[in-house]
Amino acid sequence: MRHYAKLIRPYLVWSLVIVIVPLVLIILYSLTTGGNELVNIKFTGENFQRIGEPIYMDVLKKSLILGLITVAICLVLGYILAYVISRFKDSTQDLLILLVTIPMWINTLLRTYAWISLLSDNGLINRLLEAFGLDPVTFMYTDFAVMIGLISDMLPFMVIPIHTSIRKIDPSLIEASHDLGASNRQTFWKVTFKMSIPGVISGVMMTFLLSISTFVIPKLLGGGQYMLIGNLIENQFISVGNWNFGSAISIILTIIIFAGILLMKKFDKDEKEDN
Amino acid sequence: MGKMTKKRKAAYIAYIAVLFIFFYLPIVVCMIYSFNDSKSLTNWTGFSFRWYGQLIQDGNIMKAVFVSVTIAIFATIISTVLGTLTAIGLSKSRKILRQTVLNVNNIPIMNPDIVTAIGLMLLFSSVAMPRGYFTMLLAHIAFCTPFVITSVYPKVRSLDPAIADAALDLGATPFQALVKVIIPMLKDGIYAGVLLAFTMSFDDFVISYFVTGNGVQNISIVVYNMTKRTNPTINALSTIVILVIAVALIVSRLIPAMMKRTMRYIMMGMVLLLLGIAIFTGIQSGGRTLRVYNAGEYIDPDLLTKFEQEADCKVIYETFDSNESMYTKLKSGAEYDILIPSDYMIERLVKEEMLQPVNKNNMKNLESLNPSLKGLAYDPENEYAVPYFAGSVGILYDTTVVDEEDVEAGWELLRNTKYKGNIYMYDSERDSFMVALKALGYSMNTTDEEEIRRAYQWLIDQRDSMQVVYAGDDVIDNMISGNKAIAVVYSGDATYIMSENENMEYFEPEQGTNVWCDAMVISKGCNDLDLAHAFMDFMLEDENAYANSLYVGYTSPVVAVAMNLATGEFDGIGAYIPGFEGERNEVFRYQEPKIKELYADLWTKVKAY
Repeated sequence: MRHYAKLIRPYLVWSLVIVIVPLVLIILYSLTTGGNELVNIKFTGENFQRIGEPIYMDVLKKSLILGLITVAICLVLGYILAYVISRFKDSTQDLLILLVTIPMWINTLLRTYAWISLLSDNGLINRLLEAFGLDPVTFMYTDFAVMIGLISDMLPFMVIPIHTSIRKIDPSLIEASHDLGASNRQTFWKVTFKMSIPGVISGVMMTFLLSISTFVIPKLLGGGQYMLIGNLIENQFISVGNWNFGSAISIILTIIIFAGILLMKKFDKDEKEDN
Repeated sequence: MGKMTKKRKAAYIAYIAVLFIFFYLPIVVCMIYSFNDSKSLTNWTGFSFRWYGQLIQDGNIMKAVFVSVTIAIFATIISTVLGTLTAIGLSKSRKILRQTVLNVNNIPIMNPDIVTAIGLMLLFSSVAMPRGYFTMLLAHIAFCTPFVITSVYPKVRSLDPAIADAALDLGATPFQALVKVIIPMLKDGIYAGVLLAFTMSFDDFVISYFVTGNGVQNISIVVYNMTKRTNPTINALSTIVILVIAVALIVSRLIPAMMKRTMRYIMMGMVLLLLGIAIFTGIQSGGRTLRVYNAGEYIDPDLLTKFEQEADCKVIYETFDSNESMYTKLKSGAEYDILIPSDYMIERLVKEEMLQPVNKNNMKNLESLNPSLKGLAYDPENEYAVPYFAGSVGILYDTTVVDEEDVEAGWELLRNTKYKGNIYMYDSERDSFMVALKALGYSMNTTDEEEIRRAYQWLIDQRDSMQVVYAGDDVIDNMISGNKAIAVVYSGDATYIMSENENMEYFEPEQGTNVWCDAMVISKGCNDLDLAHAFMDFMLEDENAYANSLYVGYTSPVVAVAMNLATGEFDGIGAYIPGFEGERNEVFRYQEPKIKELYADLWTKVKAY
């Protein structure tokens, strides 16, 4: 079976060219000044120093908090949904999961526009409230609107991996747990939840990643003043044209994400060792 | 699984129903508005199929659908093969190699899209690879493959190696063992990878946006560039997409037998057919072509077809969402013949020697241009630019909410706390600073740091006392729906909003404002100068300028046409004829990098709080 080892070779070449080289280019940009022309570059650390300014630190903090809250809400809602779906018979489960997947196929921008028409001051939800004699509520350009947009975009990424891992649990394990006298609650936490942790971890990683780097949803639902790391990077590359500073922020974002993921991996490992 | 009590089952179903409403509400809304009679995405005016009709006629969208679908299919197939083989190879590799590859593999997954996009863009431009279908495909394979590897690799790891060994012992060649034994056992993982890769590719926006060129656009790019004027054709399209996908997925799940042999042959046939078409469309261009780069939703598409017929050529038409992103694309090596940027950007392009002068002898319609658009500071000798649309920036207000006497304050209306929480500023660094600088009585092109800082303070005060929202082009739809009472808008957008909502009124403050002009310019790398001049002349012909201005709603630079529309279709809408002559009005000028950076930094500080 050893000869299959060489199957990896095409990818080695591929990833060198298409993953490593671009990353090196970005690192190069982040450590230099001199704009986009490679003629007058100068190595410097000032791009990274600039991120230390309070205003940018606030943006980082806000993105992190928003990302974590989104992940937490997605985890609770998503876990329950995945669990509930897994209680149905196989064919129903397939159908339900399919229904969870379909929204992901509709363009994110379009779905976000639809949220705008639902949430705006004269939008459908407010008209409905009015019809019931209630006062209209301002949803648009608030944390709430951004959160709704993010959660509806990311929830499927949480539900699917968790459902996959719950489904894989051998039902006889749960029976055994009951036979051995465990209550429903004990069985859930000690067996079902424990065994679904790999799914939880990949769901959390995915949603954390998406929510911390997003820029289109906050821009549309939170307004231009809703500045997250993603928006900051986009701004630097597109409107400001400072690719060097933009690259530096990208590197920081990448580091934050990698740190988050390492943490999750460690947690995963500890969990396994516990067992 | 297990038995459920009735009560519990009801609770489960209720929970699923609530979340599914949450998932599907926006989609249903999106579908409903595809049948809306008016252009608005928030205001229902009546039932109609007109957007479906437009969809079929819109060559741009149909082409984008083709690009999205074929790229998604090819990227999925290639990345699935590459990813699966790699996953199998990985499990047999030395530990250190395996760890390295898995970590490298995580980079595209974990990197934010925009970083991956910029990286790939830098890569393609550093090897001078022409942007288009092929670069987009490469990029999609790049970000799809890691997802395939991560879904297949765990399956490979849980595989019993003895099975493959048994196959080999029984005389199977390694290839046979791979195809007949190993891969079938990885089926679930591969299936998950395929689904993920296809979804990612089909929905991708950011990466495609940065790596494409030469008129190749996928659905997301078309949608994004449409934000200038949201257009329900795209809702019509997504309604069709969702129906097709839902039916296809459900059918393929319900009739698993169909996925067997015959289905496989049909699929293979389809892929080959698509490949054929893709290659065909790639090479079909003979004859003359003109590459035009314009802002999104900024032309009457019929004019392009008309020009193609008149000049017997092919127009490759691409759109951008802002001058700055256009500039970024040009800098990254994209090539066009005609660009249609704004004044200050033209000045910058001239300074950086990216344009070539217009040969006035080659054009016969220059005479008809509005004299007040000639000799503007960004192109004082009218050497490079041929005006396309022009206008001003002003304040749009709801006459049912705003008192007439408050309006006299000009820009200071935007700091009148009576309208706290009822204001949209335009999310644009230069336009917002323009407002503040003009309100303070300075030039909007000032380079005096003290003045800039005072303007910054003005914006901060306004932000804190007024709870300002900095909206992008969504301001158009919002003002049509009357969501807020006051907004800073371009005159052309005001024209459109006022024609949809009669309570709105537009004015240009006496403190002066930004008079802007978007103009056609010829790039340095233009392939066909004659054709480029013919195109510019064509756009200035009365009949065409009329159609264009009517479609877009912006003010035509052709005097006769503008007058005609002002007394005709746009009668009573003051915003259509902006006051170009205003004493304190200015055009935006090119900014030195240092000043630009100062503005950018302060603007970030205004917005991020």
